[in-house]
Amino acid sequence: MSAGDPVAAFKTEADELLDQIEQDLLDLGGNLQDADLVNAVFRGLHTLKGSGAMFGFDKLAGFTHHCETAFDNVRKGRAPATAELVEVILSAKDHMSALIHQSDDDHEAASAEILGRLRAAIDIASDAPAPAPAAQAASPTPASAGGWRVQFYLPPDAMANGTNPLALVDELRDLGEAEVRLVTDRLPALDELVPTECHFGWDVTVVTDAPRSAIEDVFIFVIDDMQLDISPLEPAVEEAAAADVMTPETENVVAAAVSAASPVKGKPAEKSVENVRVPAERLDELMDRVGELVIAQSRLFQLAQNSIDMSLRSVSEEIGLLASELRDTMMVLRMVPVSNLFGRFRRLIHDLARDTGKIIELTTEGENVELDKTVIERLADPMIHLIRNSCDHGLEDAEGRTAAGKPESGRIHLRAQQAGGEVIISIEDDGRGMDRARIRAKAEANGLIQPGQVLSDQELLQLIFAPGFSTAAQVTSLSGRGVGMDVVKRTIESLRGQIDIESVEGAGSTIRLRIPLTLAIIEGLLVRVGEGRYVLPLATVEECIELSLEEDLRSRGRSFITLRDRLVPFLRLRELFATGTKPEAFQKIVVVGIGAEKVGLVVDQIIGNHQTVIKSMSPLHRNVTAFGGATILGDGNVALILDVAQLVALGQNQEERLRAAS
Amino acid sequence: MSASVLTVDDSASLRMAIRIALTGAGYKVTEAGDGREGLAKAQSERFDMILTDLNMPNMDGLSMIKEIRKLPTQTGVPIVFLTTESDDGIKQQAKMAGATGWLVKPFVPEQLLRVVQKVLGR
Amino acid sequence: MTNRTETPWDEQGQLEVLTFDLQNETFALEAVMVREILDLLHETAVPGAEPLVGSVVNFRGKIIPIADLRLAFGMPPAEKTVDSRIVVIELEVNGETIQVGIRTDRVNEVTTLQRAASEEPPAVGLRWRREYVRELVRNAAGVIVLPDLPTIFETSIGAAALSLSPTA
Repeated sequence: MSAGDPVAAFKTEADELLDQIEQDLLDLGGNLQDADLVNAVFRGLHTLKGSGAMFGFDKLAGFTHHCETAFDNVRKGRAPATAELVEVILSAKDHMSALIHQSDDDHEAASAEILGRLRAAIDIASDAPAPAPAAQAASPTPASAGGWRVQFYLPPDAMANGTNPLALVDELRDLGEAEVRLVTDRLPALDELVPTECHFGWDVTVVTDAPRSAIEDVFIFVIDDMQLDISPLEPAVEEAAAADVMTPETENVVAAAVSAASPVKGKPAEKSVENVRVPAERLDELMDRVGELVIAQSRLFQLAQNSIDMSLRSVSEEIGLLASELRDTMMVLRMVPVSNLFGRFRRLIHDLARDTGKIIELTTEGENVELDKTVIERLADPMIHLIRNSCDHGLEDAEGRTAAGKPESGRIHLRAQQAGGEVIISIEDDGRGMDRARIRAKAEANGLIQPGQVLSDQELLQLIFAPGFSTAAQVTSLSGRGVGMDVVKRTIESLRGQIDIESVEGAGSTIRLRIPLTLAIIEGLLVRVGEGRYVLPLATVEECIELSLEEDLRSRGRSFITLRDRLVPFLRLRELFATGTKPEAFQKIVVVGIGAEKVGLVVDQIIGNHQTVIKSMSPLHRNVTAFGGATILGDGNVALILDVAQLVALGQNQEERLRAAS
Repeated sequence: MSASVLTVDDSASLRMAIRIALTGAGYKVTEAGDGREGLAKAQSERFDMILTDLNMPNMDGLSMIKEIRKLPTQTGVPIVFLTTESDDGIKQQAKMAGATGWLVKPFVPEQLLRVVQKVLGR
Repeated sequence: MTNRTETPWDEQGQLEVLTFDLQNETFALEAVMVREILDLLHETAVPGAEPLVGSVVNFRGKIIPIADLRLAFGMPPAEKTVDSRIVVIELEVNGETIQVGIRTDRVNEVTTLQRAASEEPPAVGLRWRREYVRELVRNAAGVIVLPDLPTIFETSIGAAALSLSPTA
């Protein structure tokens, strides 16, 4: 294993700890009586303080100590948990993060401010001073000129408890010239002797300048349970303060708290399986290797197919299966539940509610749905922006809502679902919905559309994502952070995803982010259109139908086929791609779908299944929305991967436009 | 032959720091992330010393110490626990559970090594 | 209007370039940008892409576009001859590093251009879009055109498609 950097590891751990503290605080805010939560927060602060000091983050340790003390007061019932206290500790949590990650900056002012608020919230006169680093030294006593005579007996169970008497004697010897005499007067009779018990005593004379405290230090671990006599070899001038023998302090509350720590609630869900931490880059590398393996395997497969060597073919098939399984395993490794993502938003909503003065409730659904690690990361900012938007512009304030006959509290509902080859993340609010007339007016004013241009409802709503749509007019400090709606859209598109909007004026809006499930390798259906080959994600393929030449000619001008009593729009890829080739005799319609939406794609030939390693397109081709990537075929040539969501949308828009115009 | 130490702590960064200090001084280090894992390791291998935190998930340090003291493979093994300044009463509890000594957090590597040497002898 | 980018002349006023031909004109690009020179390979058309970058190829496992600079300079699309080559270059466009294969009629040589022999493209009389040309440089062979590749790519593709910064 590599040596690693403990400080970096600490920072990662501290982040997790801080996140957990935040979640517990938010939970506590909703239920101030919950003693378990108070304990959980306390423990988190306590651990953070300890680790922080270990790795040199003294300011953090000092600051956290005050917070810990404050919470300790709550824990012991000396002060109640209040909403203000939760609020202060939440700010404190942000501050602690800054102390860790921007440790070079000066945080004195901020620290003082938060601690001031903390004192007010807890209403105690003063906090206990931050603990000095462990100082075991007893108060100094004058050294005896000559040395000491140390006589001691250890408790019988000393050795069973790991004490090594000889080590103690050795330590005394280290202090100076020593004479050691074994004392056996307490030895029981042989037949009563339990070998693991210690019944010996020692009489050690050591010549040294070391003070009495040094002698006591040797026995520091056992001094409470043993018989220890230390006498100076020559009369000492004066015995200073009373011997600093450690006495056990009984702090029952602390003990109780520690024993209550056994089924710890402060940690994430207990896993009885062993977990290994792997840096994300290693996973990425592994992913690349697997991808290359799959490509090589497909070439091997092609070669084997053309060979009459049966054993070659069977081995190539076997390797194909193994590569498939390896690929599936890899995909799973990178998957992370969205609860990770949703968890971050609790704090956001809390702050937004506070800042806007609105009452906002956050509910979530589908937290167990999993997405690739990198996708989750990239969704965070767009979602923050969308949520802010909903809270800022979508939700009405308490009066507005009551006037509209809605409950006072506005609701933001985050949902994750898995459907076919995609994960759908929706952000739903029950606010005022989107004003079509205003969107239209704004779009026309900004030259995005012509007055009177016919648009489907979805096309109209999608204009809010067009660059140049949102002017500075309505940018509040909440939603305008330089992250515009157009950037949100681009981010989703860069994940080969799609955004849908649903909105009912007066009732609310739902924004749906559709993200393809796997990022790197998928099962694909290879098809030919003209001279080009294209891949369709197999997960989206529903069925394939024949399209004879006569039918094709007959259906000129029509854009729908009837599929078991349903009208499904279809697209002639040959025309869409302007291949310039003539329609072939045995065309097929591949019906693809996402959720309930379908579209039929007319292709010249269905070649077959293909394990597709997705390679990203060049940035120069990012605007080509019909394709969500490309792949390298067994013969080394490139096949473009069709973005089914785009095609489905295209089909739908076609449909709606026709309907709108009629 | 170098002495082997079992380090039990749920903080990976702390384990790392301890491992660096101990291996630098020539000790052999085995790690465990919680009490249960620590107990499992103690069951399968004899250590010259066990260093453990108390506050851990999946079986805390005190329980682990009690269980380890029952193991025939580990009779008389020195067990040092990590504690913070305010946990004074815990020392008594831990000793009753069978701990040999303690090390107060925060500590610097020298303090750790001193305790290890103290407990292991020469 | 996108600004032209600067030619990176070195302190001695020199620039090492690879020269190539497009329709009887000689162009040059900085030698440091060149990754590889390939014979023509099988290209896959990308429907819906700008004609300038209308197809892609597999370059060592990576999908890179093939750019036909003739289109940027108002020339008819390239004819494929035995001398045609694809020069794979790496450059920065809108803050992103990308790899592109430049289609050429012929690759000439690596040579050193002198700043002293260079001049700005004339204000009038230039058949091409001025912002696509950085400078014109004379050498023994004649006049060599230094194209402004980042600008060509940025304007042709459109800024919206390129400036992808999800966390602005």
